[in-house]
Amino acid sequence: MAEPLTVARSSGGRRVRRLGVLIGWPLARRLGGAVFVLWAVATLTFFAVRLIPGDPAEAILGGPGSQTSPEALAAVRAEYGLDQPVFLQYLAQLGRLATGDLGRSYALNMDVGPLVLSQLGGTLLLAVLSLTVAWLLALGLATWSTGRGAMARRIGSGLEIVAAALPHFWLATTLIVVASVWWGILPPISTADARGLVLPVLTLAIPLAGFLGQVMRESLTTALESPFVLSARARGESERGVLWRHALRHAALPAIGLSGWAFGSLISGAVVVETVFARPGLGRTLLNAVTVRDVPVVIGVVMVVALAYILMTILTDLASRLADPRPTTNTRTPGGAQ
Amino acid sequence: MPRPALVRSIPLLSTRRPLGVALAAGVTVLGLALTGCTSAAPQASSTPTAGGTLTYASGDAEPTCLDPHVGGNYPQALVSTQYLESLVSLDSKGTVIPWLADSWTVSDDGLTWEFTLRDGVTFSDGTPLDAAAVQANIAHLQDPATGSSTGYLALAKVTGTEAVSDSVVRFTLSQPDSALLESLSQPWLGIESPTALERSQDDNCAAPVGTGPFVVDSWVKQNAITLVRNDDYTSPPADAEHDGPAYLDTIVWRFIPDSASRYAALQAGEVNVIDNAQPDTIAQAEQSDSIVHLDAPRPGASNRIELNSGKAPFNDAAVREAFIRSANVDDAVASLFQGSAERSYSALSSVEPLGVSRQELFDYDPAAAATLLDEAGWSEKDADGYRTKDGVRLTVVFPVSTNQSIPAEQSLFEQIQATAKETGFDVQLTKLDLSSWYTALGSNAYDAVSAPYTKVGPDVLRILFHSDGITPAPSGYFANHAQVNDPELDSLLTLADQTNDADERSALYADAQDLILEGFYILPLYDQQNHFLLGTAVQGARALPTVSTPTFYDAWLSR
Repeated sequence: MAEPLTVARSSGGRRVRRLGVLIGWPLARRLGGAVFVLWAVATLTFFAVRLIPGDPAEAILGGPGSQTSPEALAAVRAEYGLDQPVFLQYLAQLGRLATGDLGRSYALNMDVGPLVLSQLGGTLLLAVLSLTVAWLLALGLATWSTGRGAMARRIGSGLEIVAAALPHFWLATTLIVVASVWWGILPPISTADARGLVLPVLTLAIPLAGFLGQVMRESLTTALESPFVLSARARGESERGVLWRHALRHAALPAIGLSGWAFGSLISGAVVVETVFARPGLGRTLLNAVTVRDVPVVIGVVMVVALAYILMTILTDLASRLADPRPTTNTRTPGGAQ
Repeated sequence: MPRPALVRSIPLLSTRRPLGVALAAGVTVLGLALTGCTSAAPQASSTPTAGGTLTYASGDAEPTCLDPHVGGNYPQALVSTQYLESLVSLDSKGTVIPWLADSWTVSDDGLTWEFTLRDGVTFSDGTPLDAAAVQANIAHLQDPATGSSTGYLALAKVTGTEAVSDSVVRFTLSQPDSALLESLSQPWLGIESPTALERSQDDNCAAPVGTGPFVVDSWVKQNAITLVRNDDYTSPPADAEHDGPAYLDTIVWRFIPDSASRYAALQAGEVNVIDNAQPDTIAQAEQSDSIVHLDAPRPGASNRIELNSGKAPFNDAAVREAFIRSANVDDAVASLFQGSAERSYSALSSVEPLGVSRQELFDYDPAAAATLLDEAGWSEKDADGYRTKDGVRLTVVFPVSTNQSIPAEQSLFEQIQATAKETGFDVQLTKLDLSSWYTALGSNAYDAVSAPYTKVGPDVLRILFHSDGITPAPSGYFANHAQVNDPELDSLLTLADQTNDADERSALYADAQDLILEGFYILPLYDQQNHFLLGTAVQGARALPTVSTPTFYDAWLSR
């Protein structure tokens, strides 16, 4: 754990070499894993949606309650291949997915690809902003409350635990009541400008900041007690310098690792937040699609979310390796977080 | 119309009046509809000003197609009321009035109808409204490729159309249909430009073209529909407040599924009108002087619990009566709906002029219920306090659709479950998503169920209670959930459906309702709730008396 500071301050040439190691073999392994995960997600989703009662052909024709003739049902089953054995349907679905074809929505009169793309931006924006704000909040609280004595630590830790335990739905409703209804300073629904983003981002960021903060504080405390911090202090670095230049780097590692998971949780949180704040996005699309048994849209959204999650995990993995001050040259599989 | 998927049913109430009293309960003019609001908004004292954007926030699911010919559910009707118009409309007394048709005649045998169209009306794409245009619409509704359910059913007896002249269109029917005008008044039978109908269904779904006061300008899915004023508008219904184009420049039609967010958006002034207002927000709004409440019960059936008379235990009328007598509905409605819903004792909505109300049949009377059950052989009680007969527990399986029953209604069912337990009924409530709920109905796995049904006019009784409605459609859907199979009732409903005589029709429907209510097939609860909340800046909005969708043709924004 305790490494000479010179490693962390390694030269540019050394960093380039390290990047090569980082990005070569591990990335290939990651990509293989990603393909496997996507296949597994597609397979699980395909069979899981078949457990939902209701005939997809009816969903295509307007759902139960619509007056559909046997001829119309048969025509739709043939058109969508629903009269084929399930395994053949599965293979056909995989084949389409392999070529990037997400199929056509039963309910929305449009192809799933363009639909998902049109909704992706809103959700990504929400997730990225929320992750950023969560990091800032967590960093701020952790650095403020660490090294200031037991009381500050208790306050910081208490706030984090409370924040992490807040359910999205409750937090969203409370923020709306306070900021929109009582104070009248922020809109409770999405707007054309950025004002409408504030409450949704806070709703997602606050609980996440609680999680990140807890992890950060723990490793920050450990780092501050480490020998390398002692040696930095011995060299006469200011407390501030010790904190920002050395200790935080260690402290950030687990939180970076956690960010991949956090991104996934943000997407699932988006289902609630997009519904409550009436924002367009993948979460709301998914919820609507599940409710009306729109199988292609469910699979499409799940696939895209899985893909985004995998990419994010790879990115956080790389970020961990880059942030990790420990040496990597003497081993093929670099150590570090995870 | 079967209540569409995803529409949350809204609680409600309005005064039920005895047969014969002309009801203004349609509550069409907003000014009349300010039920209990403290608002002192000067409705009449200011002159309309043109311009501005009204933002409407719907709690319903976003339609998947803006053309209400396709499918045909309430969310489509809400928005299409702004850009499509029907051949006829209703006034607040339920009388049929001219709209796109100036006048109409029916032959003595009731099989031939001729509609004379209004002069000088053009669709917003420039296509003239003529007999051929109406023919194209009927053909579109009846084309299986369109996938119309509500409009298709409404035209079931129309076998052909013919252009007598440019302005006169003739409908030929297979049987007389006393409900034809009421059916044609519904938004699901709005008349669209035949030129536009020739486009692909996708294109027509994205932007249907009608004769209405607004035009679909854009639709960003899962965000908003933008409607702009039709400056060439000439065809308001006979009961509108003004002529010429609408006042508003633009309507932004948004979807805010969460009830609390919707109300918060109204309070914050981000939106001007919300629908699907829930009892708690209505109660709050009543305390506010910046919000006006529009209570517009839907026509057709009342909200009611239907008892499955097709199998035990409710195949015994005494057991049905016992269940009804053991359910304390009044107290539960009063507390759960906070005054926003008034108890109904009718099979029909209070806005239906031909509705019959029989309060005495639905008194809460557990002692009478106990006697009825004793006499019917359900005299033993098991260890849990439930009645039994030949070792079988008196069980009522009651699937509840969480899509169609709002939370207050679900709580009401729990209250009924609790009071019926005191008499010895084991009411098994199961909350189901819409698909599973339909499956439970289709497989006859229910003893009690509550399903809303919106349709203009008393013909809804035929759909809900004629024995033909027991046979499921291929999709599994059937409307006669009470499984009423009474030849006398069938014949009354058929005669009422075919008579041309208004007095005879109303007498037949009165007899039919007596049979239904006295047979204890249903437990009426309240009208199908339909509450709108409006910011006080919105003036002149009203609900159309057809299916109680709001129209913003006469609406303007005060500054």
